[in-house]
Amino acid sequence: MQRDRNVERRAILKVAGASLAVAGLGATATACGGDSGSGDGTVTIRYSWWGAEDRAERIKKSIALFEKKYPKIKVKTDFQPYTDFWKKFNTQASGGNPPDVFQNAVGFLRKYDARNVLLDLSAQVEAGNLSMDGFRAGLEKFGEIDGKLLGVPVGSNSMALVIDKHVYTKAGVKPEQGWTWDDYDAAMKKIRDKAGRAGDTGPYNVMYLYDLYLRQNGKAFFTEDGLGFAEADLKAWWAKAEKAVEEGLYADQKKVAQIKPKSAVSGEIAAGEFTWDNFTIRYTSEGKSEYGLAPIPTTDGKKTGQYLGSLMLSASKRTQHPKEVAQFINFMVHEPEVAEIMGYDRGVPATQAQYDAFKPTDPVNKAIAEYEQSLVDAGVLEPITPHPNGADVCEAAFLRIGEEVGLGKRPVDDAVKQFFTESKTALAT
Amino acid sequence: MGTTVTHAPAAEGLSKDKRSESRHGPVNSSRPAALKRRGRRENLAGYLFMSPWIAGFLLLTAGPMVASLYYAFTDYNLYDAPKWIGLDNFSEMFADPRWRHSVQVTLWYVVIGTPLKLLAALGVALLLAQKRRGQAFYRAAFYAPSLIGASVSIAIVWKAIFSDDAIVDRTQQLFGVDVGGWSGDPDMIIYSLVALTVWQFGAPMVIFLAGLKQVPRELYEAAEVDGAGKWRRFWNITLPMISPVLFFNVLLETIHSFQIFSSAYIVGGGAGGNACGPADGSMVYTCYLYVQGFENSRMGLASAMAWLLLIAVALVTAVLFWSQKRWVHYEEGA
Repeated sequence: MQRDRNVERRAILKVAGASLAVAGLGATATACGGDSGSGDGTVTIRYSWWGAEDRAERIKKSIALFEKKYPKIKVKTDFQPYTDFWKKFNTQASGGNPPDVFQNAVGFLRKYDARNVLLDLSAQVEAGNLSMDGFRAGLEKFGEIDGKLLGVPVGSNSMALVIDKHVYTKAGVKPEQGWTWDDYDAAMKKIRDKAGRAGDTGPYNVMYLYDLYLRQNGKAFFTEDGLGFAEADLKAWWAKAEKAVEEGLYADQKKVAQIKPKSAVSGEIAAGEFTWDNFTIRYTSEGKSEYGLAPIPTTDGKKTGQYLGSLMLSASKRTQHPKEVAQFINFMVHEPEVAEIMGYDRGVPATQAQYDAFKPTDPVNKAIAEYEQSLVDAGVLEPITPHPNGADVCEAAFLRIGEEVGLGKRPVDDAVKQFFTESKTALAT
Repeated sequence: MGTTVTHAPAAEGLSKDKRSESRHGPVNSSRPAALKRRGRRENLAGYLFMSPWIAGFLLLTAGPMVASLYYAFTDYNLYDAPKWIGLDNFSEMFADPRWRHSVQVTLWYVVIGTPLKLLAALGVALLLAQKRRGQAFYRAAFYAPSLIGASVSIAIVWKAIFSDDAIVDRTQQLFGVDVGGWSGDPDMIIYSLVALTVWQFGAPMVIFLAGLKQVPRELYEAAEVDGAGKWRRFWNITLPMISPVLFFNVLLETIHSFQIFSSAYIVGGGAGGNACGPADGSMVYTCYLYVQGFENSRMGLASAMAWLLLIAVALVTAVLFWSQKRWVHYEEGA
């Protein structure tokens, strides 16, 4: 009995050892062939992006199309909401395991370039796996940093003023291209007095709007390695906002915070707010009113400071399959059928071929197309100012501290000081 | 143990004790070689069985802790090699108003939340200690939130309950209080977290129940004969008798409260890119630690914060242990 058990034990140990060895061999074998290759030459690339279910559906369809055209490439996807996306990405990238290809934005280019995460795609352009021809309005330059191609734009968008049309009509305000900030302030008063609603959600913590305002005045939010404005500028901007909240021209910030994630405009707390034009899709689904896009107010009646912002696709420097990644990016930005599937979900398509392939029929997407066309016609578009390494942290600080000012939790002077302290730390690292 | 099993470990231990009692000499030298071998083999088996735990401890606990202690004195962004900066992380922390705010929020949460939770636990335990119908059901029902309470899903439900125009907000409105949802309100969000922790009073309640069962009935009977009322009996018998259990619960729950993270992160998160509540309303210490580490990529600073938290909790624990001499009564001989 005793002996039997020993034999049994030994046998089990042997089997276990053998299977461990086999598993070990297997692991080395796969490691040699690249972490995601397999025998028949099929390659798997990982693609991660931020967004929600709706975008997931569209991306799934686009990928199915891609895999049909490139049967040797499999695409595995992974998605999170915006803020969670970057936390996960950071952890993966620092662990040496970033996705092969991922959604990116201008605020992160220098940051991840400085940390050696981004692949310079220009070699792939030369090799003919990726074409940078046929982009609209100079967008092909968008992902270039110091001569390196770090991102390929998939769609463009621009800052806009989203308004509740009924409230604006009721107050008798008609926004026009070239209206000034004085006109805008007067409109806020009219809306408050005649429609009984705050005119704006509160523009003072929208970093990209403040950037436009600075650009109208010959400055900018960022320079290549720092902030492009002084403490006094921000003090004036936030002090004006503080007063407007007190006077009821801008919405009660506590209410705004409380109804989140719903927007204050669709929640009928404010008559309008500044945001990216392709975000307008949410208002119609959230609210009951009719929403429209209005031009950005100006300082001198001409210059809005506007530029096209863009979502991009970037590749990881560590990818084992740069060629396949380039082919995938190429497909996503040039293939007309992808545009038909994606619509304006990631902004107005960046390439002319995709732009022509999708002609919106629903009122919201039509309005976005018309708005972007009006910007081109008015000739207000300018090149974007650079975003330094640390820009993303500055933006988060601007949002948060701006909210504290609006809530009356922090006096303006203190808020400005805090923002500059945090930004200096962020931009130094 | 039967007498026939001569080499059973328990029997061996027994005989060893007897011998050492009588001779006060080293025991091992007199043990037969076979026994020694057997003992070594048993030790080996013991270590073998423990090895998953030991490996886990070394790889997943001890290793990271040592690494984090090193990072606490460095500037480390996860990508570049850590740079030794001495105590700079600590001086930066103390100079940072946002850090001070997170300390305040955490202390407030601990000071409000822990006593309320213990009160609820003790109160319900007193009710459930009496014999009544459906006792088992009530105990299970009150304990259930503790089991599921730490989960992310409950935090999400909590956020929904306390958001604008949800059940709490509407109930307030019924009573003419119009302050809106708590989870979007920078002043109120912390109380929704307090409510969440109080709701999970099940674990300390079970411990209180066990403590209450240990109080000898005769004491109550004697007190009753002497004419002591309900309150008198509670203050002079129940409370002193369960004070060791109370001490245990205070200690555990205080440490637990300092470590609050997931509920604050989830109830406060998601609103406008701010990780921990509107205007940092639910920015507890660990939340800020997370923000510094994972959002701002400052792992060195985050490590320093973690070690400071460890030291702070150790200090609080030490103070509690010191204070127990004054209010915790251990039965003589027990």
